[in-house]
Order: sequence, then structure tokens, then C-alpha cells
Amino acid sequence: MFLELKNIHKSYGEKDYKVEVLKGIDLSVEKGEFVVLLGPSGSGKSTLLNIIGGIDEADEGQIIVEGKVLEDMSKAQMTRYRREHLGYIFQMYNLIPNLTVRENIETGAFLSKNPLDIDSLINVLGLKDHQNKLPNQLSGGQQQRTSIGRAIVKNPSILLCDEPTGALDYATSKEIMKLIETVNQTYYTTIIMVTHNDAFKDMADRVIRLRDGQVRKNYLNQTKIKAEDLEW
Amino acid sequence: MKNPLNKRFIRELKEEAGKYLVIFILMAFSIALTAGYIVADGSMIKAYNDSFEKFNIEDGNFTAKKKLNLSQKNLIEGYGIKIYENFYATLKDGQKKTYRIFKNRSEVNRIDVLEGRLPESVNEIVLDRAFCDNNNLKIGDTIRISDNDYVLTGAVALSDYSTMFEDNSDMMFDAVHFTVGVVTDECFESFKNLSYNYAFKYNEAPANEIDEKNKADELSKKIGNEIVLESFTPRYLNRAINFTGEDMSSDKGMMEILFYMIIVIMGFVFAVTITNTIQKEMTVIGTLLASGYSRKELIIHYMTMPLIVTIISAIIGNILGYTLLKNYIVALYYRSYSLPSYTTIWSTEGFIKTTIIPILMMIVINFSILSYKLNMPIMNFLRRQTSSSNKKRAFPLSRRIPFIDRYRLRIFFKNIPSYLVMLIGILFANLLILFGLDFPYIIDQFEKEMISNPIAPYITMLNMPESMKRDNHKLETGIEMLEFYNSVQTENEDAEKISAYTLKSLPDPDIDYKGEQVTIYGIEKDSDYVKLDFSNHQVYVSSAYADKFNYEKGDHIVLKEEYEDKYYEFEIDGSYDYMGSLCIFMSREDLNKTFDMDKDTFVGYLSKTRIDDIDDKYIGTVVDQDALTKVSRQLKLSFGGMMDMVVVFAVVIYVVLIYILSKMMIDASAQSISMSKIMGYSNGEIASLYIMTTTIVFVLLLVGSLPLEIESLKYIFRIMMTSKMSGWFPLTVGTNIITKTIIIAISSYAVTSMFELIRVAKIPMDQALKNVE
Repeated sequence: MFLELKNIHKSYGEKDYKVEVLKGIDLSVEKGEFVVLLGPSGSGKSTLLNIIGGIDEADEGQIIVEGKVLEDMSKAQMTRYRREHLGYIFQMYNLIPNLTVRENIETGAFLSKNPLDIDSLINVLGLKDHQNKLPNQLSGGQQQRTSIGRAIVKNPSILLCDEPTGALDYATSKEIMKLIETVNQTYYTTIIMVTHNDAFKDMADRVIRLRDGQVRKNYLNQTKIKAEDLEW
Repeated sequence: MKNPLNKRFIRELKEEAGKYLVIFILMAFSIALTAGYIVADGSMIKAYNDSFEKFNIEDGNFTAKKKLNLSQKNLIEGYGIKIYENFYATLKDGQKKTYRIFKNRSEVNRIDVLEGRLPESVNEIVLDRAFCDNNNLKIGDTIRISDNDYVLTGAVALSDYSTMFEDNSDMMFDAVHFTVGVVTDECFESFKNLSYNYAFKYNEAPANEIDEKNKADELSKKIGNEIVLESFTPRYLNRAINFTGEDMSSDKGMMEILFYMIIVIMGFVFAVTITNTIQKEMTVIGTLLASGYSRKELIIHYMTMPLIVTIISAIIGNILGYTLLKNYIVALYYRSYSLPSYTTIWSTEGFIKTTIIPILMMIVINFSILSYKLNMPIMNFLRRQTSSSNKKRAFPLSRRIPFIDRYRLRIFFKNIPSYLVMLIGILFANLLILFGLDFPYIIDQFEKEMISNPIAPYITMLNMPESMKRDNHKLETGIEMLEFYNSVQTENEDAEKISAYTLKSLPDPDIDYKGEQVTIYGIEKDSDYVKLDFSNHQVYVSSAYADKFNYEKGDHIVLKEEYEDKYYEFEIDGSYDYMGSLCIFMSREDLNKTFDMDKDTFVGYLSKTRIDDIDDKYIGTVVDQDALTKVSRQLKLSFGGMMDMVVVFAVVIYVVLIYILSKMMIDASAQSISMSKIMGYSNGEIASLYIMTTTIVFVLLLVGSLPLEIESLKYIFRIMMTSKMSGWFPLTVGTNIITKTIIIAISSYAVTSMFELIRVAKIPMDQALKNVE
């Protein structure tokens, strides 16, 4: 198994104000799988993503990635884990404002011993004409494409996407989804995507539905369709 | 209902405790120091000014060769003055200290008993308080002076000696080796070899300074025609009386300039801070504006915290200023000057300058920036678009530059405003450090130079009566001269005759130069000591003189008789390597001719060994190593403590400024740093990008700005030396001083950077999830 989560618990606050966000999550993901995490606000899907990404820590349970237990890792090992295995895409892009498009992508490449070719990636992302612009000169879609470029240039084994189209319009969202699909197919990158858009489940290999911090549904999608055919 | 936004203040104070704390420390410290200085200075100046009337300080004094008889006294008093006996005896102890002892003068130049009581019996003495402090003398101590034991019964301030100038022409006063004191009349009568000094007061006070000068000039001529005058010193030229007041006034001016420079730096810091806050809070501001808050309300809101900090700093600073710092500064003054007792007076001027003006400055700076920055459409705030961000393009950088270096360059471009503030801070702090470190170094160098390169190991100046130099006394003093010259011959084989004459340089109000005494030495043509070519009547200036006024060969110098309207012009043929004083060298023959003296006239000797075969009464002064280092000793005493404080102050400025600026730069990039952590950058790598960039910039600015700081220091030093002091110190900024400055600056930076490393490590990864940059 490529990624395994066992009995993950997570709560915030203390005593009377304690809120249990994840109540014992168990799930497994295969290498190269496209996983869509669905659920309403407060269901715990972003928290779960952050725990997988090593940004947040579980109170209880185990996360095993390619046989390595995350909880056993030191801070330095955790940094190396993120550096070597993970790519992250956020709803609000989080680009470094004073670096150009190309330089933002280079921040990812810098971390990898075996990065993708930056020029061809910029072509694939459709950013060739914008590569010397600063983020504030770009549209939302262009910024998100840059953030995808930055995440995948280091050739991560897992790409974590937190509502990557949450701030985008329909056409741009579709464009981004096509790009993520391409990444998944071209580089065989495992993708875990948090979304509240139900339509995206149709392009996933695996669909996990969360509610109140628990997995309500976890199934393989037998009728997978292409991103460009998605409608919502 | 109270504005709910106000609840943010306490939270903001907690969150930004470090920032506000360092701003508070710098402001409170600066205000305390300046308020302390202004209050101490103001109180002391008042005590000093009041002392003229309170202790009836003389309008001038003169020394007669002999005690005046009644008819001479009546005649002189007929010139519109009243004269008072101001006789003194000059005593020495075994430690090369000179005591000028008076009777208790009840009419003029009265004394202020600061501690203890006046002497009541013959073996009792009171001495100047500063001298007692500097020599650890306590009331009740027995002091042996000129083979007599005296019990010290009090520490006093003689109103005509607030500064211990033994001789009015001394380059510097000496509160360690020279003092004044008072004994009982009975004791005083037992002294021999008295100096017949007379103090005088005008019957009609001069209307103004010009009138005072004219009156004094006229009086000196009239008295000089009647008696043999050894000296004539009107009050306005008496440095023992005036130096303190002049020095305190100029110190205050310097302190105020220093303070306003700090306030300007703080103004910049506040400007950068407030800009940073607005940047950080753009969406909040947008939302608040959209909800109906007015811009005015928001301006007041964002101005409140900086103003509260300024006001608290001002209050605490003033309290510290009026207590601790005032006492410290008074102690510094008391160490150098013999001031009467003082009462602390409230200074409205000080309050306005140290409190009202900084607060107003903060209001103006913050208000202007906030008004400008908040004057944007609401949508721009919500979209986080600053007025310039739409137009902002990336500065093109070649891809050949390694990625990390490009990243650092981008950080540099982003933080240019902060780095500019840093540059101003570096310039200012380094100037202070250089000044604080270099001043003692210059004094040391001067001392070494004095010891290693004197005109001669001993310069013995003969005690020549004033009348012998005056044309109108030539006949009268002929016999006296013959007798004098017979008595001042020496068998000392290495002695070489010199003649000398003292003139005064002309004042130059443009550079606040008051003029000073210039000694002209007449040297033997084949001198073993001053090896110069005088074959064509050449005139040379000392290198100190040349340095002070940038004189070059061919320049002309005009000097005048101190008390007469007689001018002399000299053309410079070169300079002679002597830093000890402003002087001119020519052949003895030429000097005697120039000043209309007999060609064989001489007034002293240069020698390798001490001349001991001339009667003491004919020896005026002996300039030896000890006399030459008097200036440096006093300067070290007067300024030592002050210079340490200047360096400490500069370090405080460094730490505070670097801390605030680095913190702001890191805070402004917190989102990017957080994202970098998520991507897998280690804390070390992030520090190497963000902190290293600032470090590189800091080191470059530090090293790059040094030449400018050194030049500024030279400029300030030249102004200080021409306006405040006689003589000249060569300004040398030693390599060791530059190295020390760099070490102090980098150490201050390194300490501050530690906080930044911790700050970078503490930025959480979920920061990137919360906000939008």
C-alpha cells in the first residue's frame, strides 16, 4: 500500500471547548491513484489533508507512506519527507509575491535532485508568455497554474490539492482540473484532492466522503470520466 | 457603545510586544538622555549665570609687577573702575600639582561653600570641589603643600574659576593638577612671592559686548601706561570664567541635534511599521470600510498604538531624565567644572523639545502615511492591490544568476525601503561609535605625538615682565633688562636661545571661530632642535596650524596684538612637523626685528636637559612632557565617561533598529516562509534566504558607508575643534578603530539576528492556510 491512515484522531481546543474534528479515520491509497475527498464544511477534509502533508499532527493514529511511519519522524525527517514526496496546491495559490512565475516554479525545482524540465513544464502549463511576470500581474487561473507548476516541478509522489478551484470561475476551474489530470496521468503522481464540488468525484479513481470527522463512504469509481467532460 | 476595534490594542501590544518594547526602549532612553541633558544643562547654566550677580564676579583683572601704592590705585580707579585686591600665592606639592591660594574675598569673586566650612585657623584650607573629587580628597584630610600641612575643611567653588585654566592661554583646563583654594587672612600673610592681581568692576556696566571690548581695550592701554602690567584679562576673554558657560551651551546644541536625528530615525521606523501594518491588514481594512467604518476612524485606530507608545516613552523618559540621567549628567559636568550649587529647574523648552515635538512628529508622520495609504478604493483593499501593485513589474534578472542569488535579489528589491532606513540608522550609529571610540584614540595619539615629537624636550620660558615688551617702556626698563639678561644666562651646554612672541589669530564668525593665541618662535639659524632653513627669512607654521586651517605654502596669515589694533602679516614658506600647538617658526633674528626688539633679545631656551642654574624667579614656565600631556589628561577625564555612553547609545540604536526592521521584513514574508516550509525548505535554508540577504545588505552598507562616516566625522571634528577648542588635534581614524566599529556593529547585528532565526523557526506552516499574501 502506498499510503495508509490508521485510526486518525484530531481535535482542537481544550476541555469544554474541545472540538473533535477527526474521529478515527482509516483509509488506504494506491500509488498513482486520483483520490477525491468530499464533504461539507467542517467535515474535517482539510485537516485530514494537512495531516497527510505533515503540516498538522494527528493526536492519535498512524500515517504510513511507502512503509514509513510519519509519527516516528523527527522534524528534519519530516521536512525531508515534504521535500521529497509532497507537492501542495492551495485554493489561494500562496505564491511568493516578489518572485516571477518562473522563479516561483524554481523554488520547487530547487528542492529536488531530479526536477522536471522547467521550460517544458512552463509550456505545458501555458505560462510561457507570463513567465517573467510577478503574481500580481496574473489572473487567478494563471496564478493557480503557477502554483501547480511549483508543486509538480520537483516530481513529487503525492500531490495534495486543497480546493484548487475554489477561487476560480467555471472555465478556469475546468482548465485546472485538466491540468491536474494530466499530471496524474503523465507523471503517475498520486493525487489527493479536497473539494466541496461534487462533480469532481467523477474524474477520481477513489472517492472518499467525510462527514463529522468520519469516513462515510470510500469507494472506487468505476465510471471515471475525463476532466473536460465534467459538468457542474 | 465603545468602538469594538479598541479591543485590538491590548492584543496587538501582546502580539507585537517585542516591536513595541524596543521602540519604547529607544524612545524612552533618548528622551531621558535629552531631557536629562536639557534639565541638567539648564539648571547648571542658570546657576552659572546667576553666579555673576550672586557672587559679584569681576569685570576683569590685571596683574601688576608690584603692589600698587595708594596714588596708583586712585589713579587707576579714576578710569571708571573700582579695583579689589585679588592677590594669590602659587604653591606646589610633591605631585606636580599647583595650588593658587587666595584670601577669602568678601567683595568680589565670592566663593560658594559646597561642603564643609571655610578655614578658621592658619593650618586650614578649602579647595575647589572638582579638584577634591578628582584627587579623592575628603574633608578632614591633611594635605602637604609647599612644606606645610593643611587640613581640608571644605570643598568650594570660586566664582571666578568655574573652569580650571591656570593660564588664560592654556590649550585646555586642568581640574586634576591645578586648583584654587582659600586660607585664612593670617595664613595668607605668611606667603611670599605673591602675584599682585587686581580684580576690577566698572563703575558703569558696559552697554553691550562691543562697548565692553572697547572699554577693556582702552583701560588696558591706560593702566599699561601707568604701571608695569604683567597681564590684563577682561572678563569676556577670561576662559576660567567663560569656558563653562560656552561649553554647556554648545553641548546642549549638540545633544539636541543628536536627539532630533534619533527622532527622525524613529519617524522612519514608524513610517515603515505603519506601512507594513496596512499591507498586512489590507483585507481587514477593506472589510471595515465596506462595513461602514470611515477612513478617519481607521486612521485614528491605526495611529493609536504608535502614539500610546510614544506618549508612554515620553512620560517614562521624562521621569528618568529628571532623576537618574540628570544626576549622571550633572556628575559629568561636576567632574570637569567647578560650578556653584544648583537647583533643578523645570524646563518648558526641554519639555517641548523632548516631549511635544516627538509626539507631534509621530502624529504627522503616521497621519500622512495613513491618509495617503488609505486613500484607495475599497475594492483595492479587498483584492489586496496596493496603489502601485498593478503597475509593478518584475525587475529582469538573468537566468545565469544562480536561483538562490536571484531569490535573494528579489528579497532585496522588496525590502529596499527598509534597507534605506537601515542605511540611515547605520550612518548615524556608526558615526556615534566612531566618534565614541575615536575621540579617546585621538587623545592617545596626540599624547604619544607630544611625547615623541616635542619642539625640544624642555622649553624654558623666562619670566619676562610685560613692560619689557612695550615700546613706551624701553627707556624706563633699560636697567631692568640688563639685570634680567645677566641673570638668565645658563651654563647648560645643550641649551639654545629662543625668542618668542604671542599674537592672536583673527576671529571668523562664519566658522564660529573666536580666535586664539598663536606663539611665534624665533629659532637659532643652525638650531639642533628645529631644523629648518631660515637663510632667506622663511616663515613656517606648525603642522597643527596648517592642518587646522588647511594652510599651504604661499598662504598669508594675519595675526594681531591681543590688546592692541596692531596687525602682522606672514607669508607661509612651509610647515614644520609639530602638532603641539598653533605656532609659527622664524629665525630669532627675524622675530626680534619684526617685533622691534633688540637683535640679541631672547625669552627662553630649548634644551635636552632641565635648566637648573637660573633663579626660579626668572623662570616663567617649563614646558616638559608633563606640561605637554596636560591637555590630553583633562580631555580624557572630561570626556571619558561621555564617550562610553555614546558607544552604548549607538549599540542600543543598532539593536533596536535592526530588530524592528528585520522583524518587519520577516513578518512581511511570513506567508512565503510558511509556504516554503510546506514545500520542504528547512529553517536553515529559509534563514539563508531571508536573513542572509539582510546580513549581506547590512555588511555591505556597513562597510560601504564607512568612508562617508569617516568624512562626516572629520567634518564634525573640524567644526568642533575650530569653534570649541584652542589648538588642534590631528584627526586620525585608526584601523583598529574601524575594525572595532565593524566588530561592534556586526556583534549588535548578530545578537539581533538570533531573534530573527527564532522568529523564522516559529512561523507555523498553517500560516499559509490562514491568510492570503
